[in-house]
Amino acid sequence: MNDKKSILELKNFNLYIQDKQILKEINLPFYKNKVTAIMGPSGCGKTTLIRSINRLNEGIPDIKMTGEMRLYNKDLLEMNAILVRRKIGMVFQRPNPFPTMSIADNVLAGFILNGVRLTKQEKEEIVTGSLEKTGLWDEVKDNLHRKGTFLSGGQQQRLCIARALAMKPKILLLDEPTSALDPKATERIEELVNELKSNVTIIMVTHNMGQAERISDYTVFLYLGELVEYEETATIFDSPKHSRTKDYLTRKFG
Amino acid sequence: MKLKNSLKSRLAKDVAFKIVVGVLSAMLILPLLFILFYIVKHGSASFSWGFFTQTPVQVGETGGGVSNAIIGTLMLIGTASVFAIPLGILIGIYLSENRQSKVAEFTRLCVDTLQGVPSIVMGIIAYAWIVMPMGGFSAFSGGVALAIMMLPIVTKSTEETLILVPDSLKEASLALGVPYHSTILKVVLPAGKSGIMSGILLGVARVSGETAPLLFTAFGNPFMATNLFKPVNSLPLLIFNYATSPYEDWQTLAWGASLLLVLFVLSLSILAKVMVKK
Repeated sequence: MNDKKSILELKNFNLYIQDKQILKEINLPFYKNKVTAIMGPSGCGKTTLIRSINRLNEGIPDIKMTGEMRLYNKDLLEMNAILVRRKIGMVFQRPNPFPTMSIADNVLAGFILNGVRLTKQEKEEIVTGSLEKTGLWDEVKDNLHRKGTFLSGGQQQRLCIARALAMKPKILLLDEPTSALDPKATERIEELVNELKSNVTIIMVTHNMGQAERISDYTVFLYLGELVEYEETATIFDSPKHSRTKDYLTRKFG
Repeated sequence: MKLKNSLKSRLAKDVAFKIVVGVLSAMLILPLLFILFYIVKHGSASFSWGFFTQTPVQVGETGGGVSNAIIGTLMLIGTASVFAIPLGILIGIYLSENRQSKVAEFTRLCVDTLQGVPSIVMGIIAYAWIVMPMGGFSAFSGGVALAIMMLPIVTKSTEETLILVPDSLKEASLALGVPYHSTILKVVLPAGKSGIMSGILLGVARVSGETAPLLFTAFGNPFMATNLFKPVNSLPLLIFNYATSPYEDWQTLAWGASLLLVLFVLSLSILAKVMVKK
C-alpha cells in the first residue's frame, strides 16, 4: 500500500463538537488518482470527516479540531479555507445547482461568484469541457441558457460535478452523491467516477456497499468515530480483518 | 339502512358548512367593496389632467390639483426607502444567518417591538431628533419617521424569505471557494429576491398612507415644494386638511386624493402578491 503516492494525509485527526468527540485519532492517507470510499453505519462520522476536508464544518459553534491534514506538504487546517476549497471540490447528497443561474452559468459558477473575468472563448472551453467530462454535453448543449433546475435529478447531480470540475480541483469529495437518485442515474454517476479518476483523486462517502465495491480502489470503514479498517477494496470485501467490518459488510448491523 | 341515513346527514352537514363558510367570506369582502365603491364614486369625479398637474388653488377659485402632494408623497417614500431598505435587508440577513445567537434574539425582539410602536410616536421622535435641531419642518424628517416604520417590515420579510433559502445552496457556493460575503450577496440574496422585493412593496404600501407621523414632520405645504429640507405636502396630509375643511371644492379634492392613494396602495399589494407567486 505504501508504494502509492499519497496526496492527502490525515494524522492523528480528532474532531470535537462541544465536548463530544466525533472523530478519534484518524490516521489516513488518500492516494493520488484513486477512488477511496468511506463507509460505516449512520452517525459514525463519515460526513463530518469528508466535510472537514473541505473545511465546511467551521460554521458549527463549539467545534474543535486537532491533528493534521497534510495536502501535499501543507497542513490544510492551517491554510485559508477559501484556498482549500478551490483545490478540493465537493458534491453533495442532494443536487444543488444554483436556481437563479443558467446551465452554462452553473458550470462557470466558481468563476462568476469569485469575480473572475473570463473571455468568451475561455467560457466556452470551460463549459464544453466540463460538460463533456460529465457526459452531459450531448444532453444539454441546446439548452445551455435554461435554468439548471430544469434538468432531471441525475442530470442536476452531473451538472454539480461539472461545476466542481470546472475549478480543476486536485481532489473531488462526493458525499453520498447518488443517495437521492434513481438506479439508472446512479449507474451513470458510477461510470463517471471511473472515468474521472485518471485526472482527479476522489474521496466518496457511500451507504451503498455494492457501490463501494464496484467503483472504489480503497475502502475505509469507520465505526463510532474510529477508523476500524482501511484496505484495498478487493481485500476488505473478500477478507475483512476486523469482526466489526465483517458484520457490517454482511449486514449484521448498520 | 342506518349507514345510508348517516351518510345523508353528513352530506347535508357538509353542504351547510360550505354555505356558512362562503357567506362569512363574502361578508369579509363586502366592507372592502363598499369602501372602494364609495371612494370611486366620490373621487373619480375629480380625476382630470389638472388634478395631477396643478397645485391647489385659493378658496373661491375652481379647479386645482394635488400635484404638490403627489410629489411630496414620492419624496417622503423615497427618503424612507433610502434608509429603510438597505438597513432592513442587512438586519434581515444578520437575523437569518444567526438564528440562535443571543444578540439576534434580542434584535428580533426589538424589531417586533418597533413594529408595534404607534405611528404618532414615530412622528414625535422625528420631531425631537430632526425637526427641532434642524430648526424647521421638512420632507427629510417625515421620511425618517416613515423609514422607522418601514424598517421592521423590510427586516421581517427579508429574514423570513432568507430562512427559506436552503443551506445546500450556501454550501454549494462555499465549496467552490467563494468567500462568505460573496456567497450571501451573489447566491443567497438572489435566491430570495422576489420575497424581499414583495416585502419592500408592502413596506412602501404601509407607510404611504401614514398621516400621524407627518403632522409635525413634513407638516404640509399648499405650494409645490421639491426641497428635501422644506415642508412638503403629502396625499394623506392633504386628505386630512381638506376633508375637514368647510369648502366643497377642497372636499372633492380630498376624495380624489383618497382614490389615488387607495389605487396606489392596492396596486402595490397586488404587485407584492404576484412577485411572491413567481
